[in-house]
Amino acid sequence: MASFKDIKSRKLEAAASAQIQKELDAVNEDELFVLAEYDETAAEKTGYSNYSYWRSTLQVFFKNRTAVFLLFVLAALLIFTVIQPYLPGQYPANLINNNPQTGKQLSNLAPSLTTVLVTAPEGTALTAEPVKNAEGWYSVTNVVDSLKARTKFDIVEYGEEWCRVEYKDVTGYVKNNFQTKLKLPEDPTAVPYESRSNFKLDIFSTPEDYTNNGTALYVPEQLLTIGEDGTAVTNAEAELRILPSENAFWFGTNNIGQDLWARVWSGTRTSLMIGFIVAIVEAIIGITVGVLWGYVRKLDRILTEVYNVIDNIPNTIILILISYILKPGLRTLIFAMCLTGWLGMARFIRNQIVIIRDRDYNLASRCLGTTTPRIIVKNLLPYLVSVIMLRMALSIPGAIGSEVFITYIGLGLPVDIPSLGNLINEGRKLITSEALRYQLIFPAIVLSIVTISFYIIGNAFADAADPKNHV
Amino acid sequence: MMNYIAGRRMASIRKRGSGRGFDNSMLKYCVKRLASSIITLLIIITVVFVLLRQMPIEGYFDNFEKADQATINAKLEQLGLNDPIPVQLFNFLKNLLKGDLGTSARYSVGAPIAQIIAKKAPVSIKLGVLSMALALIMGIPLGAAMARGKGRFWDKFGTVFIVFINAVPAAVYHIFIQMYGTSFLGISMLFDEANLVTWILPVFSMALGNTAYYAMWLRRYMVDEMNKDYVRLARAKGVDSRKIMMRHVFRNAFVPMIQYIPTSLLYTVSGSIYIESLYSIPGMGGLLVDVIGRQDNPMVQAIVIMYSCIGIVGLLLGDLLMGMIDPRISFVKKEGAR
Repeated sequence: MASFKDIKSRKLEAAASAQIQKELDAVNEDELFVLAEYDETAAEKTGYSNYSYWRSTLQVFFKNRTAVFLLFVLAALLIFTVIQPYLPGQYPANLINNNPQTGKQLSNLAPSLTTVLVTAPEGTALTAEPVKNAEGWYSVTNVVDSLKARTKFDIVEYGEEWCRVEYKDVTGYVKNNFQTKLKLPEDPTAVPYESRSNFKLDIFSTPEDYTNNGTALYVPEQLLTIGEDGTAVTNAEAELRILPSENAFWFGTNNIGQDLWARVWSGTRTSLMIGFIVAIVEAIIGITVGVLWGYVRKLDRILTEVYNVIDNIPNTIILILISYILKPGLRTLIFAMCLTGWLGMARFIRNQIVIIRDRDYNLASRCLGTTTPRIIVKNLLPYLVSVIMLRMALSIPGAIGSEVFITYIGLGLPVDIPSLGNLINEGRKLITSEALRYQLIFPAIVLSIVTISFYIIGNAFADAADPKNHV
Repeated sequence: MMNYIAGRRMASIRKRGSGRGFDNSMLKYCVKRLASSIITLLIIITVVFVLLRQMPIEGYFDNFEKADQATINAKLEQLGLNDPIPVQLFNFLKNLLKGDLGTSARYSVGAPIAQIIAKKAPVSIKLGVLSMALALIMGIPLGAAMARGKGRFWDKFGTVFIVFINAVPAAVYHIFIQMYGTSFLGISMLFDEANLVTWILPVFSMALGNTAYYAMWLRRYMVDEMNKDYVRLARAKGVDSRKIMMRHVFRNAFVPMIQYIPTSLLYTVSGSIYIESLYSIPGMGGLLVDVIGRQDNPMVQAIVIMYSCIGIVGLLLGDLLMGMIDPRISFVKKEGAR
């Protein structure tokens, strides 16, 4: 027989469970598992701060003004090298530019922003001749006749710079200076008299020299009023150009008449491409080997020995050897550089991984049954992103430098693939001639800007990525 | 190469229980280190040898185009190139022990390579030693000055200098030094062993890389050392700051610099390749560029092996020297890949 106490407790229990049942029915089960909304005050209670590693890194990086400036320079340079061939008025990098009239190469033209040599006023009479290979251009000159050396002619009017002369049926002006070496009597102003020159002499129609050191100048058609038998008069102030083109060779031309401006940018493109490919391959091989080396204990010993052997050989020697054995070219160069570059990266990754692989969070992860690849990708590599990026940023100038070195010792790219290395090497051969040094200086400046930018940006980024420097 | 420094070895520095000097563990370490160097060298020789056998055989003849098949075969037989590669390698090693590196094929037909190198090496060694000395003379004061006046003129100047030297490929600034230096000194662009003035620029150019390297590391170590407690105490006691610098900071910071000797040796070696061919210095580096241009296989092989030897010996010396100077380094246990 149940006691009163039992009956009472059973009753209460039934009542309580009925009550709970009623309340439970009212609650939709899904609503119980909805994420709470972010509440800033509640968050602050537990010491939450919205610190983000990357935001902080960028913040620190952007405080470094030099690095930011160089970042913009580098970005502008990168964009420019890509779009340069599509800009109007660019010469192809490998095109050998000839003078359309004479067919000779326009070799070693000095750098110039314009092709204009002189400006002729309106109404200047010139001899004009359409240029065969350049539509719409006329080659003009105001030379009416040329005298052979030692031809006798009459000087009818004497001037310090120009003398008016008569020769057969032609009247015109000849230059009177130390180069023409006119033969003058005791009193040259007592005209007319007979004279002659020791050299070939041009007679100009006016006392102005509208030639480029004796060769013809070029004018677009619309500035000329063409007369009969090859004469023309300028119908406006006309700019006489050394080329039948308005596009100058801004960096000059090399010894076979290729446009150095186009070659420098094409070379920058090649060099940067080499740099980027090498950096990426280095990163891929370096990370793979480094992770295996650091994470797989069985491999540690053997990989360490392999590393010690390869690390003992000077990198330069490996580069030289590989480039010597294989056929010179882009692929060989990249291959040789990749062969040595990954070592440093692998060692670095390995050291880092050895440090963090047995930290508590990784142990916990492993105990919970996370697979090794997932641990590596999710737990380990994010730690290393900043160092990987630093090493990649530094290996780009390294690769560009190696390319210069390999080209320098004669194992680099052929000249029809312009690169900063072979441009500098071509320029180096000309340093004895002061007038031609621009062929070395332009590529050297571009190369220095690229390599210094990468170096400084890479270091600034590494500093910024170091949590010690975070606010 | 410039990227060679990045992540260059650091001997593992650990506290040692006993403070004994040149003891058993050190001897053991020396022997082990020497053995590993020899094995490395053997591996390198094998690899270089095998790789160079893959080259076209033109590189063994001074007039391949004109030679007929019979002479070619006879020559190949005479050089032992028809043997299987392991036999060739064995013969080469055997000759190597006798100091015979083979004979030149194109550069100086038939001359023993060992003799050619012996004739060329002294200039290279002189240049290398001079430039390494100059680098110390320039780099150490620069690094010290940078650390002392942190943020002041010398620090800024040094930083710009180091960035420039590290970032810009050596070939570029070497050329500019040659171009403007020779006209500044009023000398010809080429080297003349008898004329001491012509030594200045090559030695200076070769020293630049190492100077930047020494200055960079010395500054780093000195700054580290300056932040230590004992320096702070000394300063608090009122010790003259110059005295602190010379007596304590510089001395302690200088010890770890020893480990960069092998690297600077490698720098000098690769620097010599540029410099010697730039100034036409009759040394090993210039010779290497020369024989590469002429595709003289035996010569390339010999010089590449020579250079690897120099590298290995340099690293070995650096490790041993480091051990002798700083007793805190453990020889018993090497951690990982150094």
